[in-house]
Order: sequence, then C-alpha cells, then structure tokens
Amino acid sequence: MRRLNPSLVVGAVIVGLIVLTALVSFVWTPYDATLVDPAIRLAKPSWSHWLGTDKFGRDVLSQLMVGSRTTLFVGLVAVGVAAVIGVPVGILAAMSRRWASEVIMRSNDLLLAFPALLLAIMFGAVFGASTLTAMVAIGIATVPSFARVIRSGALQVMRTEYVLAARAAGRTPFPIALRHVLPNVTSLITVQASVSFAIAVLAEAALSFLGYGTPPPTPSWGRMLQESQEFLFSAPRLAVFPGVAIAIAVLGFNLLGDGLRDRFDPKLEDRR
Amino acid sequence: MKSYPTRAIALLGAALLTATVAACSAGSGTSGGSSPGGDQSLTIGLVAEPASLDFTTTDGAAIPQVLLGNVYNGLVKQDESGKIVPDLAKSWTVSPDRKTYTFELVDNAKFTNGAGFTAADAVFSINRVKTAWTTSLKAAMDVVQEAKAVSPTQLQVTLTKPSNGWLFRMTTRVGAMFSQTGVEKLASDPVGTGPYKFGSWKRGDSIVLQRNDAYWGTKPFFNQVTLKYFKDPTALNNALLTGTINVVGTVQAPEALTQFTSNTKYQVIEGTTNGEVVLSFNNSRPVFKDIRVRQAIRQAIDHKALLDTCFAGRGKLIGSMVPPTDPWYEDLTSVAPFDKAKATAELKAAGATGATLRLRLPTLPYATSCGQVVKSQLEQVGLKVTIDQLEFPAAWLTTVFKNADYDMSIIAHVEPRDLGAVFNAKYYTRYDDPTLVSLLAAADAGDEAAQTDNMKKAARRISEQAAADWLYLIPNLVVADKNLTGLPTNAITESFDLTRLARS
Amino acid sequence: MILRLVERTAVLLVSLAVASVLVFGFMAVLPGDPARVALGVNASDEAVAQLRQQFGLDRSLATQYVDWLGGLLQGDFGTSYVSKVAIGPQIADRFQVTLWLVVTAMIVALVLAAPAGTVMAARHRRISGLALSALSQLGVAVPAFLAGILLIMVFAVKLGWLPANGWTPPAEDPGMFLKQLVLPALSLGLVQGAVLTRYVRSAVLDVLREDYLRTARAKGLRPFPALWRHGLRNAAVPVVTVLGLQLATLLIGAVVVERVFVIPGLGSLLLDGVSNRDLLLVQDVVMVLVVAVLVVNFLVDLLYVALDPRLRVSR
Repeated sequence: MRRLNPSLVVGAVIVGLIVLTALVSFVWTPYDATLVDPAIRLAKPSWSHWLGTDKFGRDVLSQLMVGSRTTLFVGLVAVGVAAVIGVPVGILAAMSRRWASEVIMRSNDLLLAFPALLLAIMFGAVFGASTLTAMVAIGIATVPSFARVIRSGALQVMRTEYVLAARAAGRTPFPIALRHVLPNVTSLITVQASVSFAIAVLAEAALSFLGYGTPPPTPSWGRMLQESQEFLFSAPRLAVFPGVAIAIAVLGFNLLGDGLRDRFDPKLEDRR
Repeated sequence: MKSYPTRAIALLGAALLTATVAACSAGSGTSGGSSPGGDQSLTIGLVAEPASLDFTTTDGAAIPQVLLGNVYNGLVKQDESGKIVPDLAKSWTVSPDRKTYTFELVDNAKFTNGAGFTAADAVFSINRVKTAWTTSLKAAMDVVQEAKAVSPTQLQVTLTKPSNGWLFRMTTRVGAMFSQTGVEKLASDPVGTGPYKFGSWKRGDSIVLQRNDAYWGTKPFFNQVTLKYFKDPTALNNALLTGTINVVGTVQAPEALTQFTSNTKYQVIEGTTNGEVVLSFNNSRPVFKDIRVRQAIRQAIDHKALLDTCFAGRGKLIGSMVPPTDPWYEDLTSVAPFDKAKATAELKAAGATGATLRLRLPTLPYATSCGQVVKSQLEQVGLKVTIDQLEFPAAWLTTVFKNADYDMSIIAHVEPRDLGAVFNAKYYTRYDDPTLVSLLAAADAGDEAAQTDNMKKAARRISEQAAADWLYLIPNLVVADKNLTGLPTNAITESFDLTRLARS
Repeated sequence: MILRLVERTAVLLVSLAVASVLVFGFMAVLPGDPARVALGVNASDEAVAQLRQQFGLDRSLATQYVDWLGGLLQGDFGTSYVSKVAIGPQIADRFQVTLWLVVTAMIVALVLAAPAGTVMAARHRRISGLALSALSQLGVAVPAFLAGILLIMVFAVKLGWLPANGWTPPAEDPGMFLKQLVLPALSLGLVQGAVLTRYVRSAVLDVLREDYLRTARAKGLRPFPALWRHGLRNAAVPVVTVLGLQLATLLIGAVVVERVFVIPGLGSLLLDGVSNRDLLLVQDVVMVLVVAVLVVNFLVDLLYVALDPRLRVSR
C-alpha cells in the first residue's frame, strides 16, 4: 500500500472542484453570467450576490463559475495541441537513427526559441485575438517541452528487454511504438499535461491583460482581472476574486502534476 | 540689437489683436524678455503615442495632438468656444462671391530652422497638401484653385466654389504652415513657427518640447514640456498619484477618478470634445434599409444607463453628430427616447424580431465596454447580437472601415465637424441620402446664417432617419496638480493646447 | 571538446538560418497591407502603390528576404514603414532596457532560489522545508503582472516609497534608475525565483543522493558544509540550464510587466509594431528575440560542458 502523498490529494481536490464548477455552470449559475444590469452595478457582496457585481451589474460568482469553463477550455486546447504534436515527435525522436533524431530534436530546440507569448501575439495579429488562437499558440509553444520529456522516457523504454525482444522478432517500428512505447510513457504524458495546464492558465491571464486573450462577452478569469483594473481603489474585490481563482487553479494543476510524478515514479518520492 | 524693434512690433501686433478680436483669450502680453516660468518644466501623461511625427503622410490623432498649435501654427485657429480666430494671419477678408480669401500675415514669425515666415511659405504649405500629402485629409484642399503671395505679408487664396468648410479645415492639421526649407525630416524633426520647438523623442516613452525663445507671440510659461505615454490607464493614474507626471491629459479610466476628486492635491477638469461615440449601422445591409429597425435600435438603448455603465456617467448624451461647441448644436436627445415597448413593437412590425446582428468592435476599452451593454439592451427587445473583436487599428480598419463587412460597430469619431464625412454613401456607414447631401452642400456654400441653419437641418435629418445611434460624447477629462492653470476645459481642436499652461 | 564546440556552432548557424526563413514567412502572411495602414484607409490606390514601391514591398518575396537578411548580417535593420526612422538603434535601445530588467530579475530570482531551494532539499522532511515548499508553490501560481500591480499598490501608491512606474536610463540618473527598477525587477524576480527554487531543490536532492556526498557525510561532515564543498558545482548544472531558459523566455515574457510599469522595453516595441502593422520592425524584433534565445541556449550548452567534467569525456 503506497502512502498517499499530500500534493496529489490537494491537487486532485482542487482540479476536481474546478471541473465540477465548470460542469455545474452548464446547468446552473446563480444568475446569467453575461446579463448586464446597470441598476445594480458594483454591488457589494450580499445574500443575493455572494461575491457582488461588476461594473456592468453582472454577478461575479456566476462569471467566475462560467469562467472556469474558459480556463479548462484554455488548458485542454493548449495541452491537447502540445500532446498531439509533442508525443509522436518525442517517440519518433527516440526511435529514429542518431542523425534523424538529432534533426528532430534540433528543430524542437528551434521551436523553443519562439516563446508562448511571442507566438500568441503573432497569431493574434494574423488570425485575430480569440481564446482559440491564443491557446493554439500556447499549445505549439509547449510542444518542445513535451517532446523532450517524452523522448527521454521513450529512450528508456526502447532499452527494455521486451522492446529489444520485439525488435529481434522483426516487429516494425510503428506497432512497437503503439504497443510498447506509448503505454509506457502515459504516466509521463499525464504529469507533463498537468504542469502544462498550469502554464496555459497563466498564459491566458497574461494575454487577456494585454488584450490578446478571451474576447468579451465570454467570461474569463483573465479578462475579469483586466477589467477590474479601474477599480483597484474603489472595489479591489473585483480584482481579488479572479486573481485568487487563477492562483488556486495554477496551484491545483501544479500540485496534481507533482503528486502524479511521485506516484508514477516512487523512487522519486522525495523529490519536488 | 535688431530684435528690439521687432519685439516692439510684436507687442503692438498682440495689442491690436486683443483689441480687435474679443474672443481671442490668448492671455497676458508678456512677450519679450524671459518667461515667468523660467526653467520650470511640466510632464503630461497621454495615452496614444504617435507612430511618426509626420502627419502629412501618417494618419492618427496622436501627431497633431502634440504638434499642432504647439510646434506648428496655422493661418487661423479655433478658440475654446469654437470660433475661428487669427493665428499666423492677423486678419482676413472674404470677397463678395465668397471665393477669394485675402489673409494679412504677421511679419515677425520665424521657423525654428531660422527662416522667416512669409506668404511664400503659406503658398508652399497649401500647395504641398495637394502634392506631397498622402493621408485622406488632403481632400480638404481640393477646393483650392490657386494660392498666391501678393506680398511677403499678404496671401490670396482662390477657391473653385464657396466653401465654409475650407476655412474651418485651415484650423486643423491641413492648415499647418511649413517652412520651404524645413520639410526634409518631418517624421523625426518637425520645423514650425509655434511657441514650442521639438526637443527629443524617446520612442515608446515620451516626447519633449522646448520653449521656442524666438516665438513671435506670447512665449509659453514652461521651459520644457514632456508628453509621456502610457498604454495602461491605471499606470497613467498611478503616475500622477506618485508625482511622476503633473497632468493626466485624457482620463481613460473614469471609474478611477474618485481617487482624485477626493484629494485636495488635484483638480479635475471636465468639458466636452468633438468625439462622438457612434453605434454605426451598415446602412447597405437589407435589415438596416428599414427605417423602423434603425429607429427601434435607437429606442432600445437606455443611453443614460449605458453612459453610467461604460464611462462612469461622465460625458454628455447627444442625439446627433454635433457636439455642443459647434454653432449649430441643438439638443436632439429627445428624437429617439428610450422606449423598450415601442422598440419591441417596431421590430416586430418590421419583421426583424429574432434577427442576428454582428457587432464588430475595435479593441478599444470604451468600445468593448459599451458593446457589452448594447448587446444586452438590444437582446431585451428581441434582437440577437453577436460580438466579435477586431484588433485596432489594422484589422478593424480593413474589415469594418474599408470593406464595410459588418452590421454594427462602435467607434468614436473625433474629427471636428465630421457629420458630412461620416454619413456618406462612400463611407463605412454606407449612408446614401440625397436630402442630406443637398443640405450639406447648401451649408458649405452659404453665409454664416445659412450655414448654421442648414447644418441644424442636417443634424436633425440624420437623427430622425436614425442613420446611426449616438451613444455619448466623450468628455474632456483632465486631472492635474492643483496649482496648474491654463488647461482648456473643452478639447475641441486636434491639438493638446500647451500654450497657456502656467503654474500659480 | 573542440568537436563539440564545432558541432554546436554548426547547429546554431543552421538554426539561425531556418529561424530567419520562418520569421520572414510568417510576416508575409500577416493580413493588413502595411502601406495602407501607414496611409490610413482613405488613401488612394496610387498613393498606396507608391509607398509599396518605396518600401520595396512590390518586389518578389525571395528578393525581399535576401535583401532583409543581407541587411541584418551587415547590421542594417532597415527603416520603419511607419515612423520612417532606422530600426536598428531603436531595437538596440529597447533591448538594453529589457536586458537590465530581465538580468536584475534573474539575479533576484537566483538570490532567492539558491538558499531557499537548498534549505528545502536539505530539510525536505522537516516543517521548515515543507513550509518553504508550499510558499514556492504559491509563488509559482501568481501571475507576474498581478504581483506587479500589488507591489505598486502597496509600495508606490499607499506608502509612496518608490515610483509607481517609468524608466530612466542609468547613464541619465543612476539614482532614479535604481528606484524605478526595484518594483518591476521584484515582481518578475519573485515569480521566477519561485519557479527556480523548485529546480534548485530537486538538483540539490539529486546531489545529496550521490555516493561522494554520502561518503563525505559518512566521514562526519554536516549536510551544509558537505554540500558546499562537494555538491554545489554539480547541482549548478541543471540550475544553469533552467536559468538560461528562463532568461531567454523572459525577454518577451517581461512584456506584461513592462506594460504594468510603463517600461519601454523590447516587448512593448513588438506590441506597438504589431498594432501599427510596422511589419519590418516586427520582423526585426522577432528575429532579435529568436537569435537571443538561440544564442543563450548555445552558451548554456557550452557552460554545461565547462561545469560538468563528466560531460567533457562522454563525447
């Protein structure tokens, strides 16, 4: 029986809560999150509006709830793009001959020279600022780190006896990749996905702040934070709630990633 | 040695000016000698940094904001009440057929490159608009048939047809006077006759203007004025709070004003501008061909609530494309009063209930804010509104402005007297209205009374026809150190007027 | 060692060449005609055509590319389409600003992370280590611009100790330069420091498990002196890699903090260029950023070899 590690538990609980909130928001929010009602703008937290209302008179709690959907969407798209490209590239690099592997990894390093923010700004200019373009950009920028991690994992798998046996038996590379390598790097993928998720959430907040993120009226934590700027003195709560939400989400995904890493790799239990 | 007599003449000239032109409030006549401000300097925080210093080839309001009236003079300028008053031209006469203007020019103005200003420079500047300018504004000079220098101090301009608009445009950047020997490096080193000379430009940060000690008129108080640019409205406010700057030139975050109004260290100035925030309709779209739909949209919007929500209630409600500082202003807010029930019924009658409209917004804070309110209000009367954002300026200009690929948009039209330019079949509003065209033509050709009368009719026409909806007029909101004087209440010219600033 | 140097240099050069093609190609597909944006939408087609010719935009893409790259190699970045001034000096100016900010932030990060990470590793089972660990987790979770906004609110607006924003070149007024540098460097440095702490911790943990350190401790050395004497150099290898990576991504990553603190750095130059469709400027800035990252990675690679004797023989 393995000891439950606290990172995993706390991380899983936080992520679980965010997912739950997002699911609930599809069927129920206290108010319509985008309903503008100037009559009750900037209301303080009360029994009818637990977290108050923003400058448009929209219910902050409802917005936070719907915003969690944006956050999850952001992370899923970014991580999805990164994994779909990064995992095959990593495995390919591990299974290729030395020179081919070298070319792949050098191209990968080259991509590393285009950081997420840079790509997102460039993509935003080309395709127009939207959550999707920003996330695809962040996803592409995350490919290199995925590919690296997966490659090193796959290299270890390639040295294992069963892969050596399969190769000796004349199996072609593709089935080997699918049957032996991929299943053995799933734990690495999960860990990397969780950590990348956290990075994507932070990137979305930064992009929203610069005006390259989620366009209105879709609620997003990043944009809520940006819109609250004017009210830092008169109603700081408008910045506090989304700020705390972002921090908690990032914390949750990071802890989950750490916890998973320890779990999958018990000899590293003490690390991170 | 030589400067003594010229100075005396300058003084005389100034005295004459104040005597003949009552509205010219240019202030005390302390020309010559050192200015009262001595070595004092001032820093003003603004939002939009120019992309270049050459407004003859680069569009945008940020360039004339710095340079016009401060570095460049025109022949004429607009005073704070909207009246056209002398600048480099001491006086002018108009021929009876209203086609020939004769300007008497000052004889002591000097460009910062050392050259004196003469009628030949004026001819050069006017002709140069037609030849070297590339921005769309150059069209203002199309009406000029000939400009000629009768003598070094007398200029005669002949128009192809009478045009009130032309003299007015001469108060804008199109009328800026350039030196024949000073136009090589307009983008980085502007040469003018104004009270300030261009000092330096730290791109991405600030522009410094120095007092022009050879200025021909009243010299400015401050030795140096720095215009510092802030992308982020909160950063701009913080800079004033912590004493980095002395003035917030254009408040972009009106909600944050409370921190200044409650503090005795600051003064808050609130006036009007020429900036009408327009909810524009693409009048060429079938749905907008029906006047009932356009009127219903105007009536569906609760303008008071909208202004409260998206601009903290600052600003003025207007019912047409005329700011209160124009001579033909009338309060037209009652033409389409807020009436949800009526709007719903009108839409139903027009068969437009449930129609989907695409509101394409530029990525500007006020547009983003107002757009969300407009969407919400229009959806309450049975329309569907989808918002998308287009990066401003590039994407918005191409998609909405040039290709008119939109149903509705929100943008502030900040050019002065732009009714005719905006509501036009060729403009992105695609507003094709022969009645309006003839009203505007009559206004341009007629005398002052006819101009006012016809412009009033034109303003009422577009309001009644619901050519667009006017959300509000952008206020001139300035916050400054308490002891600063000479800040204009209304900002109705293209320039940020630095000439009268002083410290008490 | 020499072979590795040659190999790395070759890789660097090829990467640079490929990157230049990528950057140029990307700019070519950017919608919005730069000439038209520069002129305003109502400009006549002739005027636009004339300006396109003036900028050389009417030539074939291949010619434009060769021309651009040739210029870059000679240090000529070209002239901006919009401001009509030389781009090279502008980039140099902005790059310097960003470099000051980023390097200071990295020093802050390192000063925080090295001791904190080491303590976390050495005491990883004790309360002090766990508490530091939790703190670093929180630090990682706060967006840098939020940290900046909070710092401004407290230290500039409420307490008035430091300026809220702005930038003064060090040569102009060193005192003001330092004052204005503190808050932005802190907001970047704190967050990066939290990230770095976690790498330091795992690097030190790795070293602690190594045989030579166990031996040293078995000989009676206490953990910190043992680490100091034997482990630091080895722990430095992975930390330097991360440091290099952070430095490189921060050159553009600092843009958000630059916005909050109104610092005229490279990132804001890029954002302005994008919105003005100052295509050549954007292309140059992106290229400079990419070159910077590639060169930093190259240097880190070399440092790696210098720091770790084992790597020297392995190839």
